[in-house]
Amino acid sequence: MGGKGIWERKGDIMQYMKIRYGEPFSIPRRLGTELFKEVVRIKGVDYVKGKGFIVADYYALSSLNRILVKLGLILTPEVKCYLCNRPVDCDKCRFRNVCKKNTNYCICDQCLEKEDLADKYIEKQRMMLSSLINSLRR
Amino acid sequence: MVWTEKYRPRTLAEVIGNEEAKVELVRWVIEWEKGKRDYPGVLLVGPPGIGKTTSVHALANDLSYHVVELNASEYRTAEKIYERLGSLSRTYTLESYLGGGVQKRVLVFFDEIDGIDPKEDKGGLDAVINIAEKREYPVIAAANVPDKQKHKKLFELFKVIEFKELTPKHIVILLKRIVDRENLNIGLDTLLKIAERCRGDARLAINMLQAASVGVPIETIAQPLENLPFEELLRRLSSTSSYYEIKMLIDANSSLWEDVIYSYFDIISRSPVIKLESKISLLEELSMIDVYLGRMNKERKYFYMRYLSHILSWLIYKANREGALYDGRIPEYRLYKFVLNRKAADEFSELTSQLKGRINESIRKFTIHTIPVFCLVYKNNKTSELCKWVERVYGRGRVI
Repeated sequence: MGGKGIWERKGDIMQYMKIRYGEPFSIPRRLGTELFKEVVRIKGVDYVKGKGFIVADYYALSSLNRILVKLGLILTPEVKCYLCNRPVDCDKCRFRNVCKKNTNYCICDQCLEKEDLADKYIEKQRMMLSSLINSLRR
Repeated sequence: MVWTEKYRPRTLAEVIGNEEAKVELVRWVIEWEKGKRDYPGVLLVGPPGIGKTTSVHALANDLSYHVVELNASEYRTAEKIYERLGSLSRTYTLESYLGGGVQKRVLVFFDEIDGIDPKEDKGGLDAVINIAEKREYPVIAAANVPDKQKHKKLFELFKVIEFKELTPKHIVILLKRIVDRENLNIGLDTLLKIAERCRGDARLAINMLQAASVGVPIETIAQPLENLPFEELLRRLSSTSSYYEIKMLIDANSSLWEDVIYSYFDIISRSPVIKLESKISLLEELSMIDVYLGRMNKERKYFYMRYLSHILSWLIYKANREGALYDGRIPEYRLYKFVLNRKAADEFSELTSQLKGRINESIRKFTIHTIPVFCLVYKNNKTSELCKWVERVYGRGRVI
């Protein structure tokens, strides 16, 4: 799965769309009043006027997909490796059954096997946080 | 030394996971420093063991703040909170003096704020909000499972930052770091197994690694200590002769202490092995613990838990040494708690209310004495006359 894959299901064309948790996005379909109400009633799905929908976690995303599938759309989380920024495919992960899949960042399999994994992770965070602090304090 | 303390991160960069939440937290504190104070405080929300408290302390360390921490288990009422913060200037001066005269700014941190009840705790939550709204110090609160209705004000006023369970891969990073530092001969496979089993709880993962490091097979520590089924907890408590293990089990299952006390009352009093004098002495101690626990709950003084946990663990340890053994019999009073879901609970109460007119015994007696017989009969012989009678009168499978 993942990418801009398009597949047929019961004669409908299904379109995949990647989203990131906690970040607003627009649904490229007209929902209509009833479906819109149904969508915003889902726990973990919010609608911010002028910005779009925000999904909090994987559970909310699954509930949302149950509605959007009727419109031929499936949303998938866009997860990236925190270290190398490569996309991480949750469906191929060995932890897919135990992980809650709630984050935008994870670690790819290649990085996970590196010897100095922890040091690299901490160094990356240190760089990122110090540049954030410096830029904010300026 | 426990590794959860030994390897507690000192800087925010060392805190593994929740990358975006940490950025939001840093951003809020620095904007606060610059005078942009849109929100009076921050509320960190997320399950236990994922780094909320650690992140606050690490952040304070990074940005040179002195953390004044108030835990809801000790500071629940407005009076206590103001009293603690009233002494802030004194503490601050003394600690800065001891710290070599370096003046640090103050950051107020309310941990486990969901433990404060807006009604029961005499204005405790309002006090927190008032302090935050004065905007004198950055105020950060942390909560495990806040009730959005109960703590509505907090959710409306504070900036909410959600901390999520760590992914198993984040857990692997955390464990690898400790393995390297401790120079352990533990392979990646073991770390992956721990990561699979710890449910995103970093604290639990580190405890499991520490247990694995002293040779405990990973399969035996696969079952976490927390939230054990009650019967499993009793079985494990009574089958160990290690005080340390009892204490760990007791600490991890504090919501079941009352049940443990009643069950041990049952186990001790029925034990054919324990001598009469010992029984009397153990039951006396147990009754005192029961009184203490009741008083603690009534007065909501949960900081006494630390003492009660030791006293209760010590009593169980002594009872076990005398020969107390859980024989698998479910304590009678637990039958009340057999009802697992709402539907079953409703059916159960309907059934018991119907019984008032049919059986000449109280609901309590029916629950304690009759239901176990029904359970046994159903289990052993589903075609017996008694079963048929039960089915005729109550309908098949309504209770059991």
